[in-house]
Amino acid sequence: MPRTCSDSLGVRYLKTSEAAALLNVSPNTLRAWERRFGYPKPQRSPGKHRLYTHGEIAALKDALQEGLSISSAVSRAREGLSADADTLIGALSSFDRERADSAMEAALALRSIERSVEEILLPSLEELEQRHGLDSARWALAARWASDWLRRAQRLTPPPVRRVSLLIGDASRDELDPDAPAIRALELLCARAGARLLCLSVRGIAGLGDALAVAEPDAVVLAGGFARDDEVARWAYSVRSAAGALPVALYRREVLRPLRARTTGAAHLSSAPSEAQSQVLELVEAGRLASEKRTSPTRLVPREKRAG
Amino acid sequence: MSTDAQGQSSLRVLQRDRSTEPLKVFCGHCGRSPDNESEADSRVCTKCGLGLMLQAPADAAPGPSDPFLVVDGALTICAVSRIAERLLEVSETEAVNRHVAEFLVPADAESSSGESLASLLAWAARGETPSAQVVIRPANTFGVRYWARVGPCGPPTAALLVLADAR
Repeated sequence: MPRTCSDSLGVRYLKTSEAAALLNVSPNTLRAWERRFGYPKPQRSPGKHRLYTHGEIAALKDALQEGLSISSAVSRAREGLSADADTLIGALSSFDRERADSAMEAALALRSIERSVEEILLPSLEELEQRHGLDSARWALAARWASDWLRRAQRLTPPPVRRVSLLIGDASRDELDPDAPAIRALELLCARAGARLLCLSVRGIAGLGDALAVAEPDAVVLAGGFARDDEVARWAYSVRSAAGALPVALYRREVLRPLRARTTGAAHLSSAPSEAQSQVLELVEAGRLASEKRTSPTRLVPREKRAG
Repeated sequence: MSTDAQGQSSLRVLQRDRSTEPLKVFCGHCGRSPDNESEADSRVCTKCGLGLMLQAPADAAPGPSDPFLVVDGALTICAVSRIAERLLEVSETEAVNRHVAEFLVPADAESSSGESLASLLAWAARGETPSAQVVIRPANTFGVRYWARVGPCGPPTAALLVLADAR
């Protein structure tokens, strides 16, 4: 029986050797399946080792017993996984928050929280938005439920381990803004990646310096497309005045006219929260390297060495 | 010929008893047979790692160099061997869950038997038919025909279509 580890939300993970043992195949075979079929799709541990969700491996094990090929087994296992999104859409459409919670629990049994959010929660909300519209009661309930669920998950995240601090400027309208769930998802994933977060509305400028003195952010993310460019520019200027020039990234924000000052070089993040989270952390690293280069004294290289 | 309760002789159709036929174990992807018992007991092929171990009557089972497909009772493709992938220019992942007629169609217009390819496959997928031969061609190609044999395989029970020789 393999020993499993689990995270704060109770998602059980298996190492490659443990997953391979459960499926009665070699670790190389499991990696070959990942290349050929894109399944099972592991997460990476902080040490870059593969971590498989127990539920995904268990689903594949059952499918292998009933299938006639690995392809058909993978297809069957995937079908089982997509059922969760339908369940969540059904629960939210019928105003049943408890059933929606259960659908997410079922999703978490089969995948990591990152994938549950990206493959189940956010697509379900998009589907509800398309079906019922942003002015519907169903969307109001779904957006509120999603916000609650993502914040609850963030509260269960272990304390930050990285020396990375992010300031998120929330330019969404409110909880019912279609960008709001994705912004909450980005917050959750950044927190799970070990970053310290400070999320503030771009409408709040008074006392911003005090907040930044405490947070000491390494990068700024401007998230959401509702607030006007001039509102966002004022907020960005206040941040720059208080904390100096910081790397800036835009998330789910299309800028027709580039923001003035230092934000002209702002990076556009992917709309997928997990990818955006990786890009933000890379941006912070790149910013740190650049500042180290600026502060380190220029070393004089002897002429003959340069020539060699 | 059998004898009924009144002692009279009568003719009736007998199901072929497949339980006594020799079975061959093979990989549903590379077509190779296991070398030992532990390999035969494994669900996944230990040689290529990309196919499940299946079994079929020895006269229907493919050889290591035979292209073959596995089709279920609804005539959807469940497995495509490595050589069949090259022959039909389609990967297994693309072909799985699609109807067999998208890739292979009957090509024996002169056949005297009224049994179509679809019927043979459906019967084989229920494990009810002896191995039979048909002539087929790729759905998008004219001028190429193959002798193919159809038989049951599993588990779970399905139809095996082995493309034997080009004609």
